[in-house]
Amino acid sequence: MKKTNIIIIFVVLLFCLPAFLSHSLVNAVNQMLIAALFACAFNLVCGQGGMLSFGHSAYFGIGAFATLHAMGVMGAEGIMPTPFLPVAGALVGFSVGLIAGWFSTKRTGVYFSMITLALAELLHTVAPHLKGIFGGEAGLSGMRMPSLGISFGTDIHVYYLTLIWVLLAVGFLYFLTFTPFGRLVFALRDNSHRLRFLGYNVHRLGTMTFALSAMFAGLAGGLQVISIEASNYTVFDMHLSAEVVLNTYIGGVNVFIGPLLGAAVMTFMGNAFSDLTRNWLLYKGVIFILFMMFMPTGIVGFFQILFTIFRKYSLRILSPFLLLASIAALLLGFSTVYTVEMMQRVLSQDYQMLAQLAGANVWPAIVLFGREWFPGTGLFYVVPVFLFFSGLAALKLAIIKWHKIKDNDESGVSGATLPEKSGNDVSEQNCEFNAGEKV
Amino acid sequence: MEYFTISLFNGTIYGLLLFMVSAGLTLVFGMMGVLNFAHASFYMVGAYFAYSLQKVFGFWPAIILSTLLVGVVGVFVERFFLRRVHHYGHAHELLLTFGLSYIIAELVKLFYGNYPINYRIPESLNFAAFQIFGTNYPVYRLIMGGISLAIFVLVYLLLTRTRVGIVVRSAIYKPHMVAALGHNVPLVFMSVFGVGAALAGLSGAVAGAFYITSPNMALDLGIIVFVVVVVGGLGSLEGAMIASIIIGLISSFAVGIDLSLVDVFTLFGAGEWASGIGGALALKISSLSATIPFLLMLIILLIRPSGLMGEKE
Amino acid sequence: MTNSALSLKSVHKSFDEAHIIRGVDLELFEGERHAVIGPNGAGKSTLFHLISGQLTPCKGTIKLQGQTIQGMSPQYINRKGLGRSFQITNIFRGLSVFENVQIAVSQRRGLQFTMWKLIDRIGRIKEETDELLEHVRLTTRRDTLAGELSYSEQRALEISMTLASDPQIILFDEPMAGMSHEETDYMIALIREVTKGRSLLIVEHDMDVVFSLSDRISVLVYGKLIATGTPEDIRNDPLVQEAYLGEGVGA
Repeated sequence: MKKTNIIIIFVVLLFCLPAFLSHSLVNAVNQMLIAALFACAFNLVCGQGGMLSFGHSAYFGIGAFATLHAMGVMGAEGIMPTPFLPVAGALVGFSVGLIAGWFSTKRTGVYFSMITLALAELLHTVAPHLKGIFGGEAGLSGMRMPSLGISFGTDIHVYYLTLIWVLLAVGFLYFLTFTPFGRLVFALRDNSHRLRFLGYNVHRLGTMTFALSAMFAGLAGGLQVISIEASNYTVFDMHLSAEVVLNTYIGGVNVFIGPLLGAAVMTFMGNAFSDLTRNWLLYKGVIFILFMMFMPTGIVGFFQILFTIFRKYSLRILSPFLLLASIAALLLGFSTVYTVEMMQRVLSQDYQMLAQLAGANVWPAIVLFGREWFPGTGLFYVVPVFLFFSGLAALKLAIIKWHKIKDNDESGVSGATLPEKSGNDVSEQNCEFNAGEKV
Repeated sequence: MEYFTISLFNGTIYGLLLFMVSAGLTLVFGMMGVLNFAHASFYMVGAYFAYSLQKVFGFWPAIILSTLLVGVVGVFVERFFLRRVHHYGHAHELLLTFGLSYIIAELVKLFYGNYPINYRIPESLNFAAFQIFGTNYPVYRLIMGGISLAIFVLVYLLLTRTRVGIVVRSAIYKPHMVAALGHNVPLVFMSVFGVGAALAGLSGAVAGAFYITSPNMALDLGIIVFVVVVVGGLGSLEGAMIASIIIGLISSFAVGIDLSLVDVFTLFGAGEWASGIGGALALKISSLSATIPFLLMLIILLIRPSGLMGEKE
Repeated sequence: MTNSALSLKSVHKSFDEAHIIRGVDLELFEGERHAVIGPNGAGKSTLFHLISGQLTPCKGTIKLQGQTIQGMSPQYINRKGLGRSFQITNIFRGLSVFENVQIAVSQRRGLQFTMWKLIDRIGRIKEETDELLEHVRLTTRRDTLAGELSYSEQRALEISMTLASDPQIILFDEPMAGMSHEETDYMIALIREVTKGRSLLIVEHDMDVVFSLSDRISVLVYGKLIATGTPEDIRNDPLVQEAYLGEGVGA
């Protein structure tokens, strides 16, 4: 019951948000919702079905264009009320997903990944040449029409439209995990070979899973179009497919809420940081790699581990470790950001020009973190190096502290297991997929 | 005839280049079961390294140095990234290399900017090898083809004629058995990974000067290379060779063909109807040259899912 | 006399050069328990793969209750009433014991694409699943992850999944492999019980099990059946003794 209460509070909060937030923030939340739905749809294939797709931008894009056409043809005539336009995206997404899924689920493992990638790329290369469907290189645009007595002229209207669709879709996807079909999708990831000998048609099951995922990806694309009223062929670009993979895994694929969380957080950070840095994508890649190397269960897994630690040890015992770990994270993070930002600024063409104008051996100041830095001086190089190594030292200390906590515990209570270990075990099971396809 | 001969030359040379990149990918896959998503990134890094190094060392030394450097990068990636996540399974390794390719592209943008750089072949190499139907044929294309061929012969001889080659080939089929026989399989893996990366780097260094060197080159080529290995059959060098040449030829021939489905309909007297429909029917093959490899891949998947030279499932 | 549940006629299978199955004729009568024995590498597992649809024979016919099944997909053959277990335990390790059997049970109900019902609310499936678990004594382990079961419990789970589709013909591939004495005894009793009214084809290395369980035995050596008969016949067959004592085949 506790879980449902949290969900209800959260949903109510989402409905009340526009009352507190500025328009641009409502817009940002809108984008977060769409990204969350997309990641959730993607996770049906990837996390639950165990098939890693690298081409999900295709279905997002197809949904976007289908909705645009629906907007142009039916929305303008008033045949289809504006709130229902994304259905066109979902339906077309589903149909294309059936065909694409039929092809791609013929193979498993890395082959599947490559086929999905190639299918998306196929669309990406054809789309600019198909003026009628994708509007050529310029793309298409449309207009939201007032319908059902709502103008759909403001961001708030769009926000509620998106919110309701996302809640419905995510609700359905959650429900799906408890149905016979949903259970089979889990079984498909776990052991498709056994499924076959239990009389199931694995190919059909995979195709259906893929199509459903494409359908909700299409819905997300449709919602995107409702909000920005335009699209062009670059939506099929690898960039978007990569985005959803990163978001989903950063969130954590093993738990339903993981991808939602990952997409929401990363989209929010992307929005917040895009004004501050040009290197957000680089940081995002680094965050992804860090998660993949050290915390494969994602943000959700991280919190699960924190939870188990807190339940097991008192805050008093933990606080030195947590303090050290936080300091280490801060120092390492700061030195990385400093290095990247400085490199970007020093290497930028503007700065190179300035330096040339200033003459030999004179380096103009760079403003970062609210103060001026001079590339010619020692401080410029000492700061990141010092921070980095003190960060490493703090990390080392934190690890030692952690082992001490654990050792004390093991001498006292028997049978204690390392929390990290249990986290890894879960991911290990889910990551096993038959890449080789060798019999 | 002119069109035919030139397309034949260009296509073969492009195919040989594709082979140089896909050879490393397919070797690594066959051996470690890892599909290295960052493989084409090594190709890109090779080009950028060579661009920077040639300013100091000159063209040819830069190419050799950049090949070696990329090999070192490959070894580094295997040792400090892939090996650490090996126990999570192949999907995890694929994701990790995917993330690496993402980071490498962003780093390249950080250092060199978002736009193509001015990496050109030196003037001393920029002359015609011979005239063909009144057109000059650049000698550099022949050099690229020659290097690829030499690499193919070298790798082939290394794999079939040397002791190391025998260990590598058996490690592809039965890594555990080879380990049990006392060979250092992790070291073999690391070396093959490094050599594969170096090959990709070499192709990047050589081809980057002729084609375009930009932050997108990894992805553009990477996807084609995936198509090559799927069509050829993952893990098969011969398959990679055949598929590379086929795709090289198709891409180069398609560019010059202005036919479309409308023309087919015209043969049956329905041309006007078809051009009235437009859309996909009016698409010229030339504008589809980037798409055809993917269509080919789908056809292969339908009729021979394990690829041209792949083992049957 | 009795009807044939499964019949193989001159079945051949080779992998490249290696000729693994060289013309096998085998009849499994309805209701009988039939064991296939033979030295390692005789092709017993290959034979099972051919029957269950994992492999396609190069030559010959396989009939399941009169219907030709060779070259059909595993799921088709399963739906025709043939269930099999695997030599290497083949279960859904990441799902609970209950869910494992639940999935196996659901197949017959045609619920593959049901997306509007909660699976745990479908009463019949729950009952049937619990019944099967009771049968193989896994009720107490119901909510454990299948991957965390002990080895013999996993074997029991594997058997309950094989039974879940209510198959008329059952193929067991070395169900006792790696089991202790008590476990084996229990397993024999279990197999006796669950195969009542069904036809069983079993591959097993433990000769005590084979001779106490089977109505008939076939001996497979180098891809050929050298003898078929009652346990008594087989015990006294000179050819079989030769094959097992290693005096050279066909001497």
